Amino acid sequence: MTSLLQVSNLSKSYKLDGFWFNRKSITALEPLSFDIQAYKTLAIVGETASGKSTLAKLLVGAEKPTTGSIKLNGQTLQHGNFKQRCQHIRMIFQDSGTTLNPSLTIQQLLDEPLRLNTDLNETERNKLIRETLQKVGLLGEHMSFYPHMFSGGQKQRISLARAIILKPQVIILDEALAALDPSLRSQMINLLLDLQQQMGLAYILISHNLGIVRHFSDKMMVLCKGRVLEVGDTQKLLKQPQHKYTKKLIMNQHFQINNN
Amino acid sequence: MARDNIYQEEEFPSPLMQLWFHFRQSPVVKIGFGCFLFLCFLAIFSSLISPYSPVENHLDSLLLPPAWDDEGNVSYLLGTDNLGRDMLSRLIHGTTLTFGLSFIVVLISLVIGVVIGSLSALTKGVKSSFLNHFLDVILSIPSLLLAIVIVAILGPGLSNTLWAIVMVLIPQFIHITRNAVEEEFNKDYVLASRLDGANSLRILHYSIFPNIIEKLISQATLAQSAAILDIATLGFLGLGAPIPMPEWGAMLANGIDLFYIAPWTVYLPGLAILFSVVATNLVGEGMRHALKARKES
Amino acid sequence: MNLLDIRNLSIKLLTASTPILAVDRVSLTMKEGEVRGLVGESGSGKSLLAQAIVGVLDDKWQVDADRFHWRGIDLMRLSVDERKKIISKDVAMIFQEPMACLDPTTTIGEQLEEAVDIAQLTGFFWQKKQQRKLAAANLLHKVGIKNHEICTKSYPHQLTEALCQRVMIAMALAKRPLLLIADEPTAAMESTNQNQIFRLLASLNQLKNMSILLISHDLENITHWTNTITVMYSGQFVEAGTTQHIFNRPYHPYTRALVDSSPKANMQIPLKSRLMTLPGSIPILQHLPIGCRLGPRCPKAQKACVEAPKVKNYHGHQVSCHYSLKGSY
Repeated sequence: MTSLLQVSNLSKSYKLDGFWFNRKSITALEPLSFDIQAYKTLAIVGETASGKSTLAKLLVGAEKPTTGSIKLNGQTLQHGNFKQRCQHIRMIFQDSGTTLNPSLTIQQLLDEPLRLNTDLNETERNKLIRETLQKVGLLGEHMSFYPHMFSGGQKQRISLARAIILKPQVIILDEALAALDPSLRSQMINLLLDLQQQMGLAYILISHNLGIVRHFSDKMMVLCKGRVLEVGDTQKLLKQPQHKYTKKLIMNQHFQINNN
Repeated sequence: MARDNIYQEEEFPSPLMQLWFHFRQSPVVKIGFGCFLFLCFLAIFSSLISPYSPVENHLDSLLLPPAWDDEGNVSYLLGTDNLGRDMLSRLIHGTTLTFGLSFIVVLISLVIGVVIGSLSALTKGVKSSFLNHFLDVILSIPSLLLAIVIVAILGPGLSNTLWAIVMVLIPQFIHITRNAVEEEFNKDYVLASRLDGANSLRILHYSIFPNIIEKLISQATLAQSAAILDIATLGFLGLGAPIPMPEWGAMLANGIDLFYIAPWTVYLPGLAILFSVVATNLVGEGMRHALKARKES
Repeated sequence: MNLLDIRNLSIKLLTASTPILAVDRVSLTMKEGEVRGLVGESGSGKSLLAQAIVGVLDDKWQVDADRFHWRGIDLMRLSVDERKKIISKDVAMIFQEPMACLDPTTTIGEQLEEAVDIAQLTGFFWQKKQQRKLAAANLLHKVGIKNHEICTKSYPHQLTEALCQRVMIAMALAKRPLLLIADEPTAAMESTNQNQIFRLLASLNQLKNMSILLISHDLENITHWTNTITVMYSGQFVEAGTTQHIFNRPYHPYTRALVDSSPKANMQIPLKSRLMTLPGSIPILQHLPIGCRLGPRCPKAQKACVEAPKVKNYHGHQVSCHYSLKGSY
């Protein structure tokens, strides 16, 4: 299958202002490359400050890469050209509390990406919003509600609706499942799996919970301090980790699983 | 699937309605708000309500005490001053001048401050710092002194008073707007908006302003009570409204010489100033409490 | 003798309209030296229960219980002040997000010295300052921070979350409590740090015979560290028993669903297939179902579930369900 998203030599370094000529630069992410196909999920695993959020921001276009390029369906994506990018790559954030604007109704919230990126008229937009809400398991009537009236799990569903409403091809889940309760997490995972089958999406799952990663992803990439330590098929990597950092990660989490 | 969590109520309380609900909870704040609205009403409809013209002299009834006194006359409800002008009409017209002017002053400085503050928040580096701080020199001089200096340069008169006080009030709005906008920029929904392709103006309009408007308004009420006092003081010093106009501070200055024979010419304008400042402060306090209560609920 | 014996504790929220039963007749017992886990998702009332035990709920919450004994003393008969005196001597609590629980304007050293128990300081008043410093350093050593000098001089924001949590535990240990309540102590941390904190708590439990009530929303996370587990749902008691029993043979459908959503159970099912979940979501306080609150979501719910089930005891494994899964084992 041809790759949906190809990333080559992507890296990011920040310049810190030192004294006059003493400008230090911090490498948040060292050059890495990978590619993703449709219907597949890539999991990016690592502890904090490993560069996972930087990678997410680079992919979605919030930051400009220092080197490297991102190609979608063969076309290079330019930084700053949000309109080109947002129809294909969307992101769901971790903290559902600050991810929805508290003074807009759900309808206005979901209307905005449509108004900025499509030519549909108002009735068509409302119809699309209603359909999308139903797809994520909410009711059409929820359109006129405000975000504070929803629970955490429902807010994540609304974020998901906002992500899929433009029918993208890649969705980045930046620790989106970490803050949910276990039963809601399972519901959300089922929903994501269904949508992947229906819409042919590719997911990039950023998480540090190996249980979800094991169940949900096809390929896995381990990051530590901005460097890729290991990449490969999830099952193989978890059964036979090569790098000792990966072994430590697995031991820390499976430690609790196996020893009962 | 989500059947269990629908609100059963018919209305959908927007954040604004929630704020109003919390605002209504304290009776003192409700009274203050009522007084504030009453003052606004007086300020707008003063010429229709007041029984006499504020500058008309009734030479046969000079220095009449208020109607509840033995020598008072019920047709001059609050008495007259030394030129025979009816106190009640003067006070009502004074509402337009002191209170109404303070409202306009705050509005103008709010708009200018918000514009400069937003520009400062949208840019980075030296330009942003410059915009944020270039009017800070105004903060270093006591507001009244600055207003006196400006009026002394431009000459007395109502419009010059207005500009002087506007200048004095702008810097605080710049700072508040810039801090609030920068805080909002860190939130995820602004990033989501930007990723959708919205340009800065659209983000400001839809995502940021609705969420900071309440902070701005509570700051505006603080500024308004300061503005009322500043206008009254300038009037008292004779630098504000010209002589026949019934501005409360000017009325106070006028009545000082007559304090022992006609105390009502002093305490009535003084009470009016007190009343409007307290009403404004109650509204401001109520709004700040409501904002805090809404955040906690 | 049981350290803590609570029977049918209910916490009512007094609102303008009818009072809402946030916690509905929950029973909890703790022995000396036991590590008990209290598991429940958000809205289950577990934090409320912990706060009711320690006695920090404000006036809008009303706490009733059939039995609330601490080391044999009946706390319901005492006045609020006496209750607080007894509890604060022997019970300590640590919270989520330790950095937010420490005073950001004073150094760790000063905060620790404040927490040191005055009664344990002997000597004249000019010696007390030195003793306080020594006691604070001792506390830090107890939680595994060897170089206490750097730690005592820093401010909370200069430390990591895991270190801050250790400092919180040190402050909790200052009074030598018999029971430590840990309210989701590792919610904001990664797995390596979580392990460190849990290991510290386990060592304190073994060395000092201190009981620990470990509150968490993740069942599978704490199964390694606890002896017994109590499960709560939406303010009601669901199941309680030894960790082995709860994890391997859960009797209640809700516990079964929790176990199913954990990664260990999912090792066997094929990749990228749908997980077993309960439909629906947790009821909010304003719209609590009558009777068994799991009713609307439970796959085994029938007409009898409109009435709240009684607690049945099977050799120490307690279940509150009309249609428990005991028969299927």
